[in-house]
Amino acid sequence: MIQLINVTKRYELGGEIVNALDDVSLTIKDKEFVGILGTSGSGKSTLMHMLGLLDTPTNGKLIIAKKDVAKLDDDAISDLRNRYIGFVFQQFNLVNELNVLENVMLPTLYSKISLNFDPQQKALDILKKFKMYDRRFFFPNKISGGQQQRVAIARALIMDPEIVLADEPTGNLDSKTGEEILKLLSDLNKDFGVTVIVVTHDRQVAKKTRRQIFIKDGRIVKKYI
Amino acid sequence: MKKDYLLSLIKLSLEDFKRNKVRTFLTSLGILIGVFAVVILIALGLGLKNYISGQFESLGTNILIVFPGKLLDSSGGFSSSGSFGGILFDERDVAALDKLTLAEYVVPIFEKAVTVESQTASESTTIYATTQDIFAIRNYETSDGVFFTKQDAQKGAKKAVLGPKIADKLFPSTAYSVGKTIRIENQSYTVVGVLKSKGGGFGGPDFDSFIYIPYKSAISMDPNKDFLAIYIKAANSTDISPLKTQITKALEKRYKPDDFSVIEQTEILNAVNQIFSVINTVLVAIGSISLLVGGIGIMNIMYASVTERTKEIGIRRAIGATKQDIMIQFMAESVILSVFGGTLGLVLSGLVVAAVHSFFPASLNLFSVVVAVGISSLIGIFFGVFPARKASNLSPIDAIRYE
Repeated sequence: MIQLINVTKRYELGGEIVNALDDVSLTIKDKEFVGILGTSGSGKSTLMHMLGLLDTPTNGKLIIAKKDVAKLDDDAISDLRNRYIGFVFQQFNLVNELNVLENVMLPTLYSKISLNFDPQQKALDILKKFKMYDRRFFFPNKISGGQQQRVAIARALIMDPEIVLADEPTGNLDSKTGEEILKLLSDLNKDFGVTVIVVTHDRQVAKKTRRQIFIKDGRIVKKYI
Repeated sequence: MKKDYLLSLIKLSLEDFKRNKVRTFLTSLGILIGVFAVVILIALGLGLKNYISGQFESLGTNILIVFPGKLLDSSGGFSSSGSFGGILFDERDVAALDKLTLAEYVVPIFEKAVTVESQTASESTTIYATTQDIFAIRNYETSDGVFFTKQDAQKGAKKAVLGPKIADKLFPSTAYSVGKTIRIENQSYTVVGVLKSKGGGFGGPDFDSFIYIPYKSAISMDPNKDFLAIYIKAANSTDISPLKTQITKALEKRYKPDDFSVIEQTEILNAVNQIFSVINTVLVAIGSISLLVGGIGIMNIMYASVTERTKEIGIRRAIGATKQDIMIQFMAESVILSVFGGTLGLVLSGLVVAAVHSFFPASLNLFSVVVAVGISSLIGIFFGVFPARKASNLSPIDAIRYE
């Protein structure tokens, strides 16, 4: 479960104070499939960074895995990102110097606890499931966008996270491939009980999720305009 | 730390180097040159030192040398205020020293630069006007002929023993030199023997070019039978110290304490070594400057690499890498880069040492290897730490947004 209690994020931009998030309270329960919908500049990226523990609130409380994030140090937060959260980005964000298999295995390298599975075997299993097995030794720049995104999802899953955070996962894909990726995320939620949060500006994408949260000017609103 | 973790770091660094071959090579080149300079200078210094020690030992052991004047100061270095000379020793001193119980041999030496002529050649060299015991205390052997004898020395026989180099210069074949006549300062001498080579000449006296004659035969060159030095050999190394006291006491009956010096060979060796250490330290310090420049080159490239890979750093942070993980990744890269250069520098200096070994006594030892690998790792760590810290302190969001 993720809980935001009166969270505010304030930036100073060109001498002006900007409230990217303004007193946001929000609860996302385990195994939910949630869409966070907002236009560019609405604060949805900030919210996504907050949920992904890449950023910390200026005010308010953020509770993830029953832990108050404000009380954790950088190492503990890194560990939570490693084991609790899987990221899927619009730009795929694979490491270009590593091949598909190595990219999928990468999070296991940073695990601070000993793993109860063989990283390579598990990576290969996931790649098989995603029909990427025969591309396992390819480098990211040699495969298509849709394939890269599937590799990114495989990477997000290898540590068995409770939450998968997808930031505009279909933004760089054609609509057919986008559909496939959304289906994949939906299946993860349905079949494996992973909490999936999709952040998007696209109403059609958000519609695929089971609950939509609208954000505007840093505040949660009832209706998407 | 897990094995996979380290392997993956090394593999990643190597991949990065493979992509930037020229850059990697040029960066390593700085360290290569630095390590090469330092290692080769240590090797040369060490070789020279060993060579000189060897030379001193080949001149005989357990020997005390009596010089006029104060040659060494109290700290063991060559005296700056003191001087060589002042008085000269004579046969009376030799006789007095001969009576000392611990002295096995007492050998007076008169040394002079002269012109020597054979029928075919004329050469400048140094003569040692001395006694037959010089051959015993210096462990000389003849390659041809014999030494002059005690009787020759006492009678002042006009007999000469040649060092191999001067024999070569004076006679077309040294084998034919024995029995021939040479002229030293217009005095005729018969060559009775030629010595086996002992080397020398690297800054020190080139004993292979010396000519040894009985001092009593050299009246025209040394009319007063004065001596520049007296060599005294003790039977055992334990006798050296008491013998030194005996000598000092005996000579102080006639001279003031500051008029002469009684020096062990090891003291001279130490003084020479002191000078060599200073020279070597200065040279190594100069060589180290290139190491410093090489290190700065590495730092420069690592900073560029951090900027280039900002996005990758962001990705790694997002999937759970800690600051320390990022730090280690970049440190590993700079250390590998630096050790790679250092290893190449070491190999290169090994090749150079092997190449010059036949004519210059350079030697590479474990110390040089440790220095090369140690210094290059330290440089990698030291100059890698700043870029690595920059990388690890990047904010994950800013890094991942970086294009």
